[in-house]
Amino acid sequence: MRSYRSYLLGRLPSALLVLLLASVLIFAILRLVPGDPAVTLAGPDASPETVAALRERLGLDGSPPAQYAAWLGSLVTGDLGPSYVVGGEVADLIGDGLGATAELTLGALLLTVLLGGALGILGATARRGWVRAAVRAFTTGALSVPPFVTGVLLVLLFSVTLGVLPPGGRVALLDAPDLGVQYLLLPALCLALPSAAVLGRYLGDGIERALTEDHVRTAVAAGIAPGRLLRRHVLPGALPPVVTLLGMQTGHLLGGAVLVEAIFAWPGLGQLAEQALTRRDYPVVQDLLLLLVAVFVLVQLLTDLAYAWLDPRIRGE
Amino acid sequence: MTASAGTPVDTSASTPGPAAASAPAPRPAAGRRRSPYRAALSTPRGAAGLALTCLVVLAGVLAPLLTGHDPTGQSGQGLLAPGAPGHPLGTDDLGRDLLSRVLYGIRADLGVIAVAVPLGAALGCLCALLAAVHPAADTAVQRAFDLVLAFPGLILALAVTAVLGPGRLPVILVVALAEIPVFGRQLRAGILVQRGREYVTAARVGGTSPARLLTRHVLPNAADPLVVQFAVSLTVAVFLEGAMSFLGVGVRPPEPTLGNVLGQAMPYLDRSPHLAAGPLTAVTLLVLGLSLLADALNRETRR
Repeated sequence: MRSYRSYLLGRLPSALLVLLLASVLIFAILRLVPGDPAVTLAGPDASPETVAALRERLGLDGSPPAQYAAWLGSLVTGDLGPSYVVGGEVADLIGDGLGATAELTLGALLLTVLLGGALGILGATARRGWVRAAVRAFTTGALSVPPFVTGVLLVLLFSVTLGVLPPGGRVALLDAPDLGVQYLLLPALCLALPSAAVLGRYLGDGIERALTEDHVRTAVAAGIAPGRLLRRHVLPGALPPVVTLLGMQTGHLLGGAVLVEAIFAWPGLGQLAEQALTRRDYPVVQDLLLLLVAVFVLVQLLTDLAYAWLDPRIRGE
Repeated sequence: MTASAGTPVDTSASTPGPAAASAPAPRPAAGRRRSPYRAALSTPRGAAGLALTCLVVLAGVLAPLLTGHDPTGQSGQGLLAPGAPGHPLGTDDLGRDLLSRVLYGIRADLGVIAVAVPLGAALGCLCALLAAVHPAADTAVQRAFDLVLAFPGLILALAVTAVLGPGRLPVILVVALAEIPVFGRQLRAGILVQRGREYVTAARVGGTSPARLLTRHVLPNAADPLVVQFAVSLTVAVFLEGAMSFLGVGVRPPEPTLGNVLGQAMPYLDRSPHLAAGPLTAVTLLVLGLSLLADALNRETRR
């Protein structure tokens, strides 16, 4: 059995290695793109001198290893340089998008916990059979239907039919909380539904398992009130795997945010990636891809660490 | 995306008894193995899933017989309501027949899925077999899987289209690439579990060659989770195709796919919600059918 610290030290290098490999891969595939970005950017009528000047300004005149090193250097210093087409500094663009995406992801995470918790507890403890069946049907539906379908359905229901929520766009939550929440609700719900369904199922299964354990049955026999039974005896045993699952789902939420942003015109990193890709703005694409992968790897690492923290047996493997 | 929790890997249920170790003839074993799939298809869940899937697949395959309209032909009458003469589902903003766009959209999706998922599954299984040969290969394959898995599905789609641009081929490539580590890990785990079992040890002691051990004993018993995974991956493929269309990096318009027909309905949701009805129904039925199938297979094979 290893200590927690040695487990941590063992996991870090492999996460860093994955990140490093991913950076090489991203750098390499963007160099595989046919056509010279400087030529494309300068336009068809540009003189060779203009193209050469542009190439130098964009840092495309060095050898590939030198360009790669310069890129890594820029990532360390945070000075990411100008974007080709979208306009402005890459760091500013990514900063703005990151704020919006973080808001959406955190909103969805909150909804996942609330909705998933409610579904799990309701599905496992409801007295009436039809309630359990309804919860099961709802989670099956939410799990199998893709987000772009739920997104369209949510807009049809809440924006077109009921007219209570806007169908897309964003007002920053910090600027105008009351208005911001209205814009945030639909995209966050669309993003959260599959994760909430997964969470609800795991939690429900965990609670059902915990209910059959001896110490819980003893507590039932002792006549402890249902609410207290759930809080003090059932949930503590059912929660640890759910916490791990939540970590994994956070990674999925980040990936899914890219799609949900496109559906609801939410100006986050996904929208920025879409713009940068369609306009072939490679500095933005390159930094953005690495950032998304880095966040995803970090979330996975934190999940592993949380799991090892909760369940010491894992560290020995 | 939905694959993560739906099908936890558990191959323990498909253990043959001690009899299998000494069974000389593979035939009866093969007959016995086939049954969980049949049993799965005869449960209400499996039968409903199969029926829904077949319905949508048939609609796509028979598209040219079911509609006389060209899915990209513009009639000049835009946004006709459903039930208009000659256009049962109405027309879209450019006056194209919606029924034919949905049917040909299913067809396009099937075309992508039918190539991409088997390709990804085959490559993934090949990687797992490679990993089973030597510990060094195992490490290399594991790291490669980690690398691909570091790109969540849609980020991978963005990376691939950054190089190839939008189109049908990138969609196929993204789906296949995303499935490789999924199948690879599944099979690798299955092989490791089976290798540790007594019947394999018994066969090895009996002098079975490593190759025969793998193909005759280990692989057949590690296959069940792969069948379930295949059904799950089909839904993931529908999801990826649609998502890529929504992001503007999927199959190029005007060719219809389920994703881009639905995506093109988005700006008209408030005035003409009927544009979304056809693709919504088709995607939902297809995905629900495949999910039910996966669920039924999962229950029966883990029994």
